[in-house]
Amino acid sequence: MKIVFEVARLDQLDKVAKTLAAVAAEANVFAFYGPMGAGKTTLIKQFCRRLDVTDEVNSPTFSIVNEYLTTKDESVYHFDFYRINKLEEAYDIGYENYFYSQWLCLIEWPEKIEQLLPEKYVKVQITVEPDSEIRTIDIEVIGAN
Amino acid sequence: MNTFILGIESSCDDTSAAILCNTRVLANIIANQDVHKKYGGVVPELASRAHQQNIIPVVDIALKEAKINKNQLHAVAYTRGPGLLGSLLVGSSFAKAFALASGIKLIEVDHMEAHILAHFLTDDKDKNIPEFPFLCLTVSGGHTQIVKVDAHFEMEILGKTIDDAAGETFDKAAKIMGLPYPGGPVLDQLAKDGNPEAFHFPEPKMSNFDYSFSGLKTSILYFLRDHLKTDKDFIEKNKADLCASIQKTIVSILMKKLVLAAQSTGIKHIAIAGGVSANSGLRAAMLSAGEKHSWHVYIPKLDYSTDNAAMIAIAGYFKYMKNEIASQKLTPYTRQSNKTL
Repeated sequence: MKIVFEVARLDQLDKVAKTLAAVAAEANVFAFYGPMGAGKTTLIKQFCRRLDVTDEVNSPTFSIVNEYLTTKDESVYHFDFYRINKLEEAYDIGYENYFYSQWLCLIEWPEKIEQLLPEKYVKVQITVEPDSEIRTIDIEVIGAN
Repeated sequence: MNTFILGIESSCDDTSAAILCNTRVLANIIANQDVHKKYGGVVPELASRAHQQNIIPVVDIALKEAKINKNQLHAVAYTRGPGLLGSLLVGSSFAKAFALASGIKLIEVDHMEAHILAHFLTDDKDKNIPEFPFLCLTVSGGHTQIVKVDAHFEMEILGKTIDDAAGETFDKAAKIMGLPYPGGPVLDQLAKDGNPEAFHFPEPKMSNFDYSFSGLKTSILYFLRDHLKTDKDFIEKNKADLCASIQKTIVSILMKKLVLAAQSTGIKHIAIAGGVSANSGLRAAMLSAGEKHSWHVYIPKLDYSTDNAAMIAIAGYFKYMKNEIASQKLTPYTRQSNKTL
């Protein structure tokens, strides 16, 4: 099943975030695809707001992974594999301890570590329409029965 | 009596060990391929974790370079957080084991405090030490914050980025232009031959002392996309001017909030820390703001502004002097908010 949203303004992201939060019952790993500037971090910010994350959500490009806590003391891991060059670097940070935990893992630039994604995950594709700032956001559970 | 401290830093990419004699740096080693060569080959490990392979060689080389014996050490200081959990665990486990085995004191250090305390390292004779209270703009690939420093361990974050860090913005702008990663230093070099007024990019309107760089990134992206439509060589033709204009904008955003914080607190001692303090545009802007506002400006040596263990050791030295010894039971923390700085 694929859910498709068309978003023209930032304040419309909340309905996407609401759907993402509902889909979180299906899988704990979310892969966010989209070019630089597509709004991956912005969407994740909204998603985290929906999840009642209390921490400041900012870009983990340098740190590779940020850990946030929700009001219910649940962890949310926010990854950015943008600056990873080799799969070994994902092994170095112990990716499996996060992906196979019970906690949500929200991943930017999953292209860099595609082989490491678990069997079942949520694919979120953000496409920016040429010559405009309208985004199409596709949400799909991969590996669903 | 001299105090010898071993510092261990492993919070992100680099494994580093340093040795201080009081506040003076005897050795500051950051792991690279040469470290393995000097040590005599890579240490085999079951897990392919880079820090595990690096930690023993960097400590060994630091001791040799400092020309001291490990029995002379008084304490081992390590980065407890913030950082990557797997990376922090290697440094903290090593430090704990080392302290137990050698019967010396164990000291935990906060990575962000250490960046600021690096200003108290004294390997230069005429080193200029900041006076309390001072403001420190900590800018790196992962951090952008203005910190008010009242004493060695009394710090307050006045403002920080709500999205991207300044260093990340340099790197991403460089990436958009097709420069190699990390593009910050390349962009800085190219900017020297460009006109910083050639192009104008919007600056964010943030309240108080907070920063935001995500909008600038997007506006650079759209600006180039639009120009490439009519001229596919736009970037190539205007490379130096683009670099200079982007650099000017990032530096201007950084400096405006710093000036505001200085005016609002009335503090005249102003420092920068972190890897981006190497940026020539930021250094020049700090010096000219210093002249304009009669600040005392403190700019660290590059070796002590990027991630390094000397800064961990100096923070450890000040804690040792206060007899603030860590328990073996402490666990690393990954986020700064887990700890009040």
